[in-house]
Amino acid sequence: MLRRNLLKLAGAATLTFGALPAMAQNAPAPFDNPGDVKIALVRYLSTGDFFQSYLSGVEQQAAALGVDLRVLDSRQDAALQADMVDQAIALGVDGIIIQHGLTESMKAAAQRAVDAGIKVVAFDVDVENDAIPQIEQSDYMLAKLALDQAIADHGDDFTAGYVYVPGIAPLDRRDVAWKEVKAANPGITEAAQFGTLDNPIANAVANQARSVLQANPTINVMIAPFDEFAKGVKIAVDEAGLSQDIDIYSADVSTADIAAMREPDSAWVATVATNPAVVGEVSVRALALMLAGEDPGHNVVVPPTLITQDFLNENDVKNMGELGSKMPQFQHADVATADWIALPAR
Amino acid sequence: MGNERFLNFAIKYGFLILLAGLVIFFSLSTNGFGSARSAVFILQSVAITGILALGVTCTLVVDGFDLSIGSVATSSLMLSAYAMVVLELSAGSAILLCLLMGAFVGLVNGLLIVKFKVPDLLATLGMMFLLIGLQRIPTQGNSVATGMALPDGSTAEGTFSPAFLWLGRHRMDFFLENLLPVPVVIFLLIAVGIWLFLGFTRQGRLMYAIGSNERAAELVGTPVNRYKIMAYMISGVMASIGGILLAARLGRGDIASGTNLLLDSVAAALIGFAVLGAARPNAFGTAVGALFVGILLQGLTMMNAPYYTQDFVKGAVLVIALVFTFYLSSRRSAGGK
Repeated sequence: MLRRNLLKLAGAATLTFGALPAMAQNAPAPFDNPGDVKIALVRYLSTGDFFQSYLSGVEQQAAALGVDLRVLDSRQDAALQADMVDQAIALGVDGIIIQHGLTESMKAAAQRAVDAGIKVVAFDVDVENDAIPQIEQSDYMLAKLALDQAIADHGDDFTAGYVYVPGIAPLDRRDVAWKEVKAANPGITEAAQFGTLDNPIANAVANQARSVLQANPTINVMIAPFDEFAKGVKIAVDEAGLSQDIDIYSADVSTADIAAMREPDSAWVATVATNPAVVGEVSVRALALMLAGEDPGHNVVVPPTLITQDFLNENDVKNMGELGSKMPQFQHADVATADWIALPAR
Repeated sequence: MGNERFLNFAIKYGFLILLAGLVIFFSLSTNGFGSARSAVFILQSVAITGILALGVTCTLVVDGFDLSIGSVATSSLMLSAYAMVVLELSAGSAILLCLLMGAFVGLVNGLLIVKFKVPDLLATLGMMFLLIGLQRIPTQGNSVATGMALPDGSTAEGTFSPAFLWLGRHRMDFFLENLLPVPVVIFLLIAVGIWLFLGFTRQGRLMYAIGSNERAAELVGTPVNRYKIMAYMISGVMASIGGILLAARLGRGDIASGTNLLLDSVAAALIGFAVLGAARPNAFGTAVGALFVGILLQGLTMMNAPYYTQDFVKGAVLVIALVFTFYLSSRRSAGGK
């Protein structure tokens, strides 16, 4: 641990002083000459804090390695995303990261890239290909940790309101954990289920949650496994004057979420999150391992972290940067690492 | 004859009776729907779309259309957050900046339509995309919140001022303590203001004249272009007010496309055509239309109806309202005269 920190410090120092990326001497080919390594990030989703942060992680890890990164953004156009993979093949890249997308449209394109001798990793999209490692943030664990915390705080006997929109893959995976918890704890009742992805989400959810709270005064726990949901529920709880009586458990985190959790008497007591920037870094590292001929494993899972309101208050955490420095397991995941891979500066 | 009277009655009061019926139905079938507090949060849920819808109504009156309102609202949401959190301006200047932005966007829309002869739908569609992109440029696609990292590496120190949050969160005492949220008050004031303006002032009546026959209005000396530009400026300012209230309620600058705001408010304005058998855009109808959608959605949520039924119901209401407006009104004018 100490050694890694020292290494990190050394890497940070070189970067801070504007030197070239910290390059380990004994990097295997092709990373002995990283400037010639070209990788492409082919994106399906890009709008929003999560995706922005993911991109910054990819960029930083690519810079730390010193490779040439191309970002191709299809902006939720599935056909275009497949074309972009072909475009990347034509560009002569060495590796491709596929970020989100639809299995149906990406499966063939990913296979074409593999056939062209390009190393491919996929984040949050199953391209059904044994040659392509899956980078995942475990949505199931995300929800499970939040629910475990709810049970730790309230016992296995509480009345919950649940925010959920079916058909959205990560929310569906989080829903599995909630179904299991409900089945295992008969004392936990779901008084109401609601949810919407109408834009701006927090505002639309707030309107719904307000009605739900009025109709179900017995609710004392709100399960909102997506931070936009939690933000909306919190607005409704505040407006109903119930912030002392209801606890909100959620998933994901952002600077704005930290502020909302730390408001005086905030009902939002805990969230569980994977740092999207770390997922981005892991994606690049897994690809780098493959390019160097090493095997990152077929499922590369970035573990989530529980973040409680108490922790934020005790450590006076105000933004994502401070959260990372106070909570090292949030800042760096010890996944897909190697001695020769320089980590991004913190 | 009785049949025709019934038809007239149905056209005129059908929608209001339906509204009353809904209220009674939800009051009986759910816990806690029929209370002052529910009434208030239903109003709160429609306040922002209602304000946008009133703006759209003004452009509909001059036979135009404003597709950019949703993105003006979210731009104003981002701008107010950016002004306070990053530029550390006061609440007053942030609000002023947003209103000016709304008026300016309306002016550009109006000029595109009037001077450059771009059809209204296309001009405002272009403006919509332009704003969706523009609002993200200053923050590079991130939401604005206190403590966010800035491009130069420092963190944003400004906060939403309490005076600004007051706009979205304060509740006034009205019969009950802490009952009436400020956005609802603003919505009601704007509704009355637009209603008086469109129905009872010379300018408002001229706008209706432009909408029903632009050429005739021009021939009798109405400065048609100026009024059209004014309609778009009103629409832009209303949308920016909506965005300010949204920012004050959320307490952060979330990036959002505003498409749902656009669709909901256009639906409210169109449903408004049917109220009292007006068969034309009108402020009272728009406010009732917004309320109608709000009551339905909140009532359904209280009954635990899943989200997709809500879109379905919204669509059904709109279709029924349009049938009221166009079919029944055409029968009335054909048969009655």
